Amino acid sequence: MRPSVREAMLAAVPSLRAFAISLCGNVDRADDLVQETLLRAMANIDSFQPGTNMSAWLFTILRNLFRSEYRKRRREVEDSDGSYAESLKSHPEQHSRVEFEEFRVALAKLPSDQREALILVGASGFSYEEAASICDCAVGTIKSRVNRARTRLSELLSIDGTDDFGPDQSTRAILSAGGRGG
Amino acid sequence: MQTDAHIRKAGGRLSREDQRRLGDILQRVYDDVVRQGVPDRFRELLNELDDSHEAEGSGVQRSVEEDSDARSGNGNGKSSGNEERDRHRGANALEHPQNKGSS
Repeated sequence: MRPSVREAMLAAVPSLRAFAISLCGNVDRADDLVQETLLRAMANIDSFQPGTNMSAWLFTILRNLFRSEYRKRRREVEDSDGSYAESLKSHPEQHSRVEFEEFRVALAKLPSDQREALILVGASGFSYEEAASICDCAVGTIKSRVNRARTRLSELLSIDGTDDFGPDQSTRAILSAGGRGG
Repeated sequence: MQTDAHIRKAGGRLSREDQRRLGDILQRVYDDVVRQGVPDRFRELLNELDDSHEAEGSGVQRSVEEDSDARSGNGNGKSSGNEERDRHRGANALEHPQNKGSS
């Protein structure tokens, strides 16, 4: 493997993990998925076109792996076992952990096609065109999924007392508090 | 039109302000994972794959190398150009087979 290829793969790992965790809702499974992605990428490195976006290529592989294998076990995969929250405990930003967890729970309720579109465009920093390429669909489809995802998320985070979600005052506070994070 | 009440009522498009807030949380949740960096597990994996294919430890990795050699017009497999690299990384792999975990 060329050093530059390895470096590019390593550089993509943090965001691959974030994407995988968003898809799986489970850190251990997500890391397995990232590992599979790297193995698959190495085995098919010849099909990577130098000069193109390594990150987008890896995201495509990861997304396809998730769809083909993990989706079959969706019930199991999307089971929240708290390992995500556990991973956040190691992070110094304790104060936002609860808010993160609430958000993650809401995120997990989205249909996976909406969720992946939202993450790719809203967090991973891909353009609509790149996201469409990763998800193998039309740009308009991505836009529509992102819009539906946002709408559904805000509904989930605004309504308290849903069965397994419970009161989410801190998240509502965030949604109604203007000018933060600036 | 762009009030918080519309988050719940509209069922359609969110105001720009609401989108921004959602996007802000989403980004922070995501970045929290990104900031964890590269776990050793993946660094080791890539090192291992590197070493094992140079030490002929894994068929998958060998085929990767053969492919890239073929692409660059260098059909000799383990060519002299790689020898120096082998000495640094491959030597360890030969003494400590790293085939584990590549099943």
